[in-house]
Amino acid sequence: MERVHRRWGAAALAAVLAMGARRVRAEDVPIEQLRRELRDMQGQLEKLQEQIKKQQQVIDKLSAGQQKAPATAAAPPPAATAADEERLKRQVTEQVLRRMQPALAAANKTFPSQFNPAIGLILDNVFSYSEKDRGDFEFRAAELGLSASVDPFARGYAIITGSPDGFDVEEAAIVTTSLPYNLTLKGGRFFADFGRLSKFHDHDLPFVNRPIALDRFIGGESQADGVELSYLVPLPQYLTLTAGAYNKLGAENDRVSNTAPRDFSQFTYLGRAATFLNLNDANSIDLGTSYAYTPEVKVDNGASRHLAGIDLTYRYIPLSQASYRGLIWGSEFLYNQEDRPVGGFPAAEPALSLARGLGLPPAAPAVADPPASLVFKRRDAASFYSYLEARLSRRFHPGFLFDWVQDVDHVTGDTKGYSPYLTIWASEFQRFRLQYTRLDAPEGHDNQFFLQWTVILGSHVHGFRDR
Amino acid sequence: MMRLIRLPFVLSLALLAAAATGADKLKVVTTIPDLADMTRQIGGDQVDVTSLATGVEDIHAVPMKPSFAVTLNRADAVVLLGLEAEHAFLPALLEAARNPKILRDTPGYIDCSVYITPLDVPTRIDRSLGDVHPMGNPHYNVDPVMGKEAARAIADGLSRLRPEHEADFKKNLAAFEAKLDAAIARWEREAAPLRGKKLVSYHPDLIYFAERFGMEPVGTIEIRAGVDPTPGHIADLEERMRREKVDLVVRELHYPAGLAETVARATGAKLVELPVMTGGVPEAKDYISFIDYDLHTMLKAVQGS
Repeated sequence: MERVHRRWGAAALAAVLAMGARRVRAEDVPIEQLRRELRDMQGQLEKLQEQIKKQQQVIDKLSAGQQKAPATAAAPPPAATAADEERLKRQVTEQVLRRMQPALAAANKTFPSQFNPAIGLILDNVFSYSEKDRGDFEFRAAELGLSASVDPFARGYAIITGSPDGFDVEEAAIVTTSLPYNLTLKGGRFFADFGRLSKFHDHDLPFVNRPIALDRFIGGESQADGVELSYLVPLPQYLTLTAGAYNKLGAENDRVSNTAPRDFSQFTYLGRAATFLNLNDANSIDLGTSYAYTPEVKVDNGASRHLAGIDLTYRYIPLSQASYRGLIWGSEFLYNQEDRPVGGFPAAEPALSLARGLGLPPAAPAVADPPASLVFKRRDAASFYSYLEARLSRRFHPGFLFDWVQDVDHVTGDTKGYSPYLTIWASEFQRFRLQYTRLDAPEGHDNQFFLQWTVILGSHVHGFRDR
Repeated sequence: MMRLIRLPFVLSLALLAAAATGADKLKVVTTIPDLADMTRQIGGDQVDVTSLATGVEDIHAVPMKPSFAVTLNRADAVVLLGLEAEHAFLPALLEAARNPKILRDTPGYIDCSVYITPLDVPTRIDRSLGDVHPMGNPHYNVDPVMGKEAARAIADGLSRLRPEHEADFKKNLAAFEAKLDAAIARWEREAAPLRGKKLVSYHPDLIYFAERFGMEPVGTIEIRAGVDPTPGHIADLEERMRREKVDLVVRELHYPAGLAETVARATGAKLVELPVMTGGVPEAKDYISFIDYDLHTMLKAVQGS
């Protein structure tokens, strides 16, 4: 150890002397000054030696401690290594995280917008040509769908439609997600749980137009402002029961106003039961029955209205080829009973009598005879549609729709429609449809041709309702 | 006399106990049979497992049957592949099932993708890319190493719901992993002839399988995931296959036979027909025999050529 010490000192002295000598030669300074500098250097050298000595002592002490450690510490070295390794890993992780943090923080900045609802837009266009009405490029709708969770207890959605008629809120509803006892409560404006296809938006229908049976009896979609409580019966067999109360049922049902306040007897009340029979892996039947009751329909003479329906859907979906093969047969039968004016409402009469019924001033100037002259009679009528659609491949789905409707006023005869159609799916989000409809109406026959082009942009949810 | 009175009492107690043990099991619903097999092995006698799919389906097109809503309504847990694999049926069914215990992000919602490092994570999310999965390719169940990760997530999930049996689940998981590890070692040896082989599948179902066994996926018959091909795409694909000397055309069994055969014949590639889930063919009765079946079928095709 001493030798090492001395060698360090000698080397340092030699270095200092060499540097000093170089400087002397270079600057050619007087001897006295040289001596002084030499003395200074000697002083510095001594200090340096002292410092080295101290450092050496520290080194000696440390290395002695390390030699002793294994002897004194009972802990086996692998444990210490494992702990070191663990510490090292933690350090590395922390270091990586510290480095990543700015990037993560930057990404976090987009998070507030992620609370925005899912947005989807559906564009639906139809070119139609009918012998009676001739051709028309019809922009049917741009339908904006928004949906998101509200909180842990509810979710909400809205479907806002822009069409040549202007903007309309088709649906805007709150649905509970965590009620006990298998209950779900829905409130707002939504498609009431009546039948099957009346809950489908126009663009979701399997054919170009809503079946006449539904259009005439329900009034388009089963749109309703109100509340609905649905219950999944806790049985091994699927069974849901729904009860609802609404201002009215049907978007285009003009028997009742949707905006004026009314007595409880003037609301529409609904009950529905739906079940499902799994015949085997590939074959199944959905069966439902619905009943809508309005105790007092003010547009007529204040009598009640009953609307009942049965819907049956048979499906053949081979499990291993579900996207490529299949058959669906869907039918609905509706029965309507209400008081109707003998000979039907005169033109523009419904709006006038509606206003009268609700105690409102007439919306339009009175153009018809006083409504008091109308004589009402209890009428019942039925309607029915049935369609069969085959899935020949993922792209081609041909089908046939049959429609039959009785006149609710018993003034004219039945209307029948025969509509073969072919749906061509370019992808899950783009669809073309060709349809021909032969309409046998009391006012005459009509041949109609349709070409529909529908696309979906953005979010699209596969809803249970749209099965 | 006393004994006579006591007998029905003891009997009813025994019946009650039996009923209690039956009712005590965790009712677990899995989306696919692979996860059902794993859950049975890990959960042991603590679980009663049902799978929604039978194994022959396309995971993206499992029919949304109302009877599934009843099954889910009674479940304590739902086990799923995740990465949006089940987007076509599970979210809607969960809504219809009205079971707050298994809603997304609740303890009963066991997403098996939590430990998966996904492949094919899109750099751009756009429908022009087809039915793109924003979180990456979800068909990881065909890779047994990923299968181990899924099993880990299942053990985590079950432990979350039954913490008092965590040790049992861990033990069962270790046993399952050991069994799978032994199989993986064997498969990796057996798969040597597959290394470097090029394949075209109908849908990107086999990306993970190819990655595991050193194969090279070249393209898909679908023009984009979930979008049926056009004649132009098939012509391009065939040309590319000839150029790149593709060895195999895989038809996942839930896709139509005709086109895959035509493509294979036109390019001289071997046609292989594979299930992509346990239960897809009778031989694939559990997860290990499923991977066995796929690997051996693939090997047969390669060695036969």
